[in-house]
Amino acid sequence: MNTYYAANLLIYAGIDIIACLALNLQFGVSGIVNFSFIVFQAVGAYAAAVLSLPPDTANGGFQHYVGGFQLPFPIPWIGGAIAGGLLAIPVGFVVLRKLRSDYQAIALLVLSVIANTVITNADKFLGGAAGLALVPPPFSDRIDPNTESYQYLYVGITIVAVVIAFAVVNRVVNSPYGRSLRAMREREIAAAAIGKNPVNLKMTIFIVGGVIAGLSGAILVGFIQLWAPSVWLYPETIILFAAVIVGGRGNNIGAILGALLVPVGFEEVTRLLNSNPNIANLGPPNLISALQWVIIGLLILGFLWFRPQGVRPEPRRVFEGGAD
Amino acid sequence: MNLFVAAFGFGLVSMSVIAIAAVGFTMQFGITNMINLAYGEVMISSAYLAYYLNKAGISIWIGMVAGALFGSVFSFLLNRLVYAPFMRKGTANLGMVIVSLAVSLMISNLLLPIVGFYSVSYQEDPGSLIRLGSIALTRDQIIVIAIAVVLMLGIHALLTYSRLGKAMRATAANPTLARNCGIPTQRVIDSVWLITGALCGLAGVVAALNADSFAIANGSAFLITILAAAVLGGAGQPYGAMIGAVLIGLITELSAAAWSPEYKEVVAFGILVLVMVLRPQGLLAKRGALAAAG
Amino acid sequence: MLVATDIHRHFEGMRAVDGVSLEVTPGKITGLIGPNGAGKSTFMAVLAGTLPATSGTIVFDGEDITHLPAYQRARRRLVRTFQLPSEFAQLTVLENLLVAAPSNRGDSLFGALRGKRYWRDDEHRLIDEARALLKRFGMTAKESDYAGTMSGGQKRLIEIMRALMLHPRLLLLDEPMSGVHPKIVEEIQYYLQDLRTGGLTILMVEHELHMVERLCDTVVVMAQGKVIGSGTMSSLRRQQEIVDAYLVG
Repeated sequence: MNTYYAANLLIYAGIDIIACLALNLQFGVSGIVNFSFIVFQAVGAYAAAVLSLPPDTANGGFQHYVGGFQLPFPIPWIGGAIAGGLLAIPVGFVVLRKLRSDYQAIALLVLSVIANTVITNADKFLGGAAGLALVPPPFSDRIDPNTESYQYLYVGITIVAVVIAFAVVNRVVNSPYGRSLRAMREREIAAAAIGKNPVNLKMTIFIVGGVIAGLSGAILVGFIQLWAPSVWLYPETIILFAAVIVGGRGNNIGAILGALLVPVGFEEVTRLLNSNPNIANLGPPNLISALQWVIIGLLILGFLWFRPQGVRPEPRRVFEGGAD
Repeated sequence: MNLFVAAFGFGLVSMSVIAIAAVGFTMQFGITNMINLAYGEVMISSAYLAYYLNKAGISIWIGMVAGALFGSVFSFLLNRLVYAPFMRKGTANLGMVIVSLAVSLMISNLLLPIVGFYSVSYQEDPGSLIRLGSIALTRDQIIVIAIAVVLMLGIHALLTYSRLGKAMRATAANPTLARNCGIPTQRVIDSVWLITGALCGLAGVVAALNADSFAIANGSAFLITILAAAVLGGAGQPYGAMIGAVLIGLITELSAAAWSPEYKEVVAFGILVLVMVLRPQGLLAKRGALAAAG
Repeated sequence: MLVATDIHRHFEGMRAVDGVSLEVTPGKITGLIGPNGAGKSTFMAVLAGTLPATSGTIVFDGEDITHLPAYQRARRRLVRTFQLPSEFAQLTVLENLLVAAPSNRGDSLFGALRGKRYWRDDEHRLIDEARALLKRFGMTAKESDYAGTMSGGQKRLIEIMRALMLHPRLLLLDEPMSGVHPKIVEEIQYYLQDLRTGGLTILMVEHELHMVERLCDTVVVMAQGKVIGSGTMSSLRRQQEIVDAYLVG
């Protein structure tokens, strides 16, 4: 197997796993339907980009953006994670306090659409519609990113990021705190009646999820070396929701499984289909990608109807020393 | 100054379009507790139907009726085949939002290979400009305003005087009690979807007529404006949606004159945020978007 | 212990609670009875903080808690159960109890991030406490079953045990026997008496008047949002207006 192809697959898998772990924490475990998830990945990507890019006068000055500090790895990745967390604060503050939960979801969805519109139209801020290009990948000043060994390097740092993200999410979910989150998900009013502060819990998880989402964005932009509004349209969040629903809500293994089945598996199948000219030219252009979305929708509806707990359901917690 | 008076004129048209759409949307929520995120896509589908009829030489006004019928049937089927079964299964409100979003994505992507990405417009001569001071509106725009007024009065009459309307209000207030009082809730709900679906389809054609051009991507932009109007007025309150439409229509047109037309949805979103922060229940509703108490 | 003064709760034109004043005596079981729609459950919800009072004050152990949200009242050990089953369905019975415990080091973000070793001891201590409760209420065998699969009566017991994990000073029970098998009703009654002997203060909404007579030390009667009498059951039976209210309401 081609190293570049394998690296591509592994890195995308890593990014999707990290993203799904974060979304599962917010949605699967805590019941926050964060329809604006992709915005948090995007802000992480933008932050990492402007931290690692040279000032915008470089490269002939064809793009305009803030920042351009040309900082070395790992600062852009850390910056991306922090940006995700910081964005969660005002958004959470507005949305998560007094609204009923389905309205929260709608508000976040609308935010996702609007954020994309605003960034597209704000030309000088983050490159506008064209976005940011020529983003220097980590260590690019020392190793040529086009070499095979660089692919191994990138896979390596991605895996480190996955391990860290998993460790964090795992500790949160499989702890008494995670139990409080699940209780809030099950029945918020009863959770308040036993002393849990739902607003506080939601805000915290929104921020933690934002941090991890931001990290995934930083990894992605470092790999593809460009970022534009067309990459983070609001339906991208839905793919991740499908992944979490299919893989199994409320548990990290399910989230990983979902990431492998939906964003990764699905994309691979589509790529294979598209590479066959007989199929790619069938019907109107973009038929395959349009059908992709239809299938994503069907997957969500199908699983919600037939198997809402997902392929790998949330495990039952049994404690040792109890009755059989 | 004249710029703003002219913008006021556009605001009249805008608010008319939004009102037709928002009232339908808010009634779906008020009576069936469903935030129908596919509303925008149904509007666009109807707009395209009218477009193909228009291309075949049929008058846009007939296209409007066709759009209304299409929207009516489509929305009714959507509820019967998708929403109602999930609700009967006990899916929570939050789950229903995911369902409706999935549906909305499916509709727009089923439409995409058929109609393509690019914007289209109706072939319709909007008529000569009719002036009233600094306000200059075309004949078509005035017809749109008239249609909106007639429909609002019709909805008012429906809700106040007709048996169905009263049954709708009862079902909105307390579905269990309504059922226990012998109101055929299933039939009421079906009627709601048929009627609001017609409003939805009609609104789609009207909105497309009012815009220079439209494409599938406009579905989500419509939805945001409608949401803003509905939430501002008080979710589930038809009269609230009318008031919300008036305000949103005016404010977005005035801001478009003051700043830039591209940001109309952003302004609508800004209003939505303000409402949610300051008064989540909206202007008229008693509870609306607020978290349920007790 | 708890003094509610002139509580009003008006909503959408309805005066569900229309000037109720009530004092709960420590170490006793106080019953709250009245016909349907009297406002008893609404009043309980206001006491617990689930619903805000339109006006009036609530003082708990000398502290004015009128404007405190529900979760803060629970942390001050003013705990309620619900009229409709409110178990955490996808958590096991044991988890339902564990999650209520207030003193777990792992029950915060940073506590969780520090890993199992940090909160393991607290967890074990609480598991023992929860298991003791389960044993006392006869539900040891169900420890690892999902709470959502339990019967109505078992769910009631779970809620009571869950409330007890908070070591409440005042327990607000909203129709704890409603929908429960008669045999379990007897058990619950027995547990409540046990708890009272142990010093727990209880305010209880209940419809079953025989139960109220057996369990409650004092009884408060509500009708149409107001208190129309209080005292022992026998003294109340002698008051004509009370009897009328029940027949009318």
